[in-house]
Amino acid sequence: MDLWVVWLVKAVLIYGGLITLAAGMTLAERKVSAWIQWRIGPNRVGPWGLLQPLADGIKFLFKEEMVPQDANPVLFRLAPMMAAMPPMIAVAVIPFAGELTILGHATTLSIADIDLSAIFVVAIGGLSVYGVILGGWSSNSKYSLLGGLRASAQMVSYELSLLLCILAVVVLSGSLDLRVIVAGQSGSLFAWNLWTQPLAFLLFVVATFAETNRHPFDFAECEPELVGGFHTEYSSMKFALFFIGEYCAMIVMACLTVTFFLGGPEVPFWPAAPWFIQLACFLAKAGFFLFLFLWVRWTLPRFRFDQLMALGWKVMLPLALLNLFVTGALVSLGVLD
Amino acid sequence: MVIVKRKELSFSERLFLPEIARALSHSLRTLFRKKITRQYPEEPLLTTAVTRGQPRLLEKEDGHLACVSCGLCEIACPAYAITIDGQETDRFIEREPERFEIDMLRCILCGFCEEACPKDAIFMSNELELADYSREALIYDIEKLKRPASALAERMEYIRKINDRWSTSSST
Repeated sequence: MDLWVVWLVKAVLIYGGLITLAAGMTLAERKVSAWIQWRIGPNRVGPWGLLQPLADGIKFLFKEEMVPQDANPVLFRLAPMMAAMPPMIAVAVIPFAGELTILGHATTLSIADIDLSAIFVVAIGGLSVYGVILGGWSSNSKYSLLGGLRASAQMVSYELSLLLCILAVVVLSGSLDLRVIVAGQSGSLFAWNLWTQPLAFLLFVVATFAETNRHPFDFAECEPELVGGFHTEYSSMKFALFFIGEYCAMIVMACLTVTFFLGGPEVPFWPAAPWFIQLACFLAKAGFFLFLFLWVRWTLPRFRFDQLMALGWKVMLPLALLNLFVTGALVSLGVLD
Repeated sequence: MVIVKRKELSFSERLFLPEIARALSHSLRTLFRKKITRQYPEEPLLTTAVTRGQPRLLEKEDGHLACVSCGLCEIACPAYAITIDGQETDRFIEREPERFEIDMLRCILCGFCEEACPKDAIFMSNELELADYSREALIYDIEKLKRPASALAERMEYIRKINDRWSTSSST
């Protein structure tokens, strides 16, 4: 059990980092998309455009807030919060680094100590779709409604594969505690779950794209068909909250990928690294997956909706079930431990 | 009737993953390509003698316009952008414009005035930027239109070359 001061310090550190990273992601998104299109990207606000997220934030705060006449006033205002909160809660259980000392107390760099953190993180993460569905429904607009409907259908299809992949990892490490899952991957580069669960890793990464509504699965937004999808009617900071939620969800998903498959904060070839090296290593690994989100966005075209459903139910779900079955069989036979 | 034969996808193509990896490597390479953005106010647009910018009046070395206010450009102008009032002078040329106005909001930069001019007095300059706060400010008078020969030299040279070509072809 941690002292409350230690908790406070860790919470401020991690949430400050999360929000800063989410703001940085908006700039990174624009920069990477510009580079892939041979452009330069934002470079006017601050050196190298670094203050652009801040300028955007100020702009969003001062924009007029519009609520459609026939919208459900309560749910319309609630939805952006419901979209932004879950990933911020889910980040609390991710172990960013191993042992460290804050104000003379030894602790680990994760805000909450929960035995069932793997369950917690997917349970809370699954809530974020409610923000999207409610936002789409309460706007009382056909485009928003279609966006929300698509989001819900997509979540149901891909959350299953996502959970089955996590379950395979849980079976392998024998615990639902993220810290134990990380500890099980320590020792060497080849102890990472990536090598024993390559199929689960692949399916997990694909499912994270669908979970976070990113290309090529961004059917909830889908500009050419649905104007803006679920956030068509939103403006000012409410609109920005959806984006903060989306970027936080991307960060959480990248962190989870690293935690489940790439050994979390494990530094390759240096098991006894100090905590800040571990944190840097964790962020570097997560950073690759964050870059992958942007990279894939400007590479793959959007699927058709029936293709998305076919891929989810006919390909990913059977593969994930097969993977779980084989993993379970091998573990119970004692081939894997 | 056209029968379109669809190519059967091979197994690796139906698997998507190798093709996705190929696409990702392609977009990763474009990430490091030379940027083609022109940062406009700092890097102005490139112009040549052929650039047909806004029309400008030639100011001779003695400080007077080359224009004799014959009104041919006014007639040639398809957008009715030019307004000329002439007046007499004591100089050898005898006539000069008292008022020469081009409404830059009407001007379509066609270059007919330049072609019509018998005295080589109006040229399409390389000036492209046109912005102001009111419509009145964009009706340019003589003061705003006149340019010394040095500013128009490249275009004047080009137009003389064009005119020479016409004259030689008509004579043969």
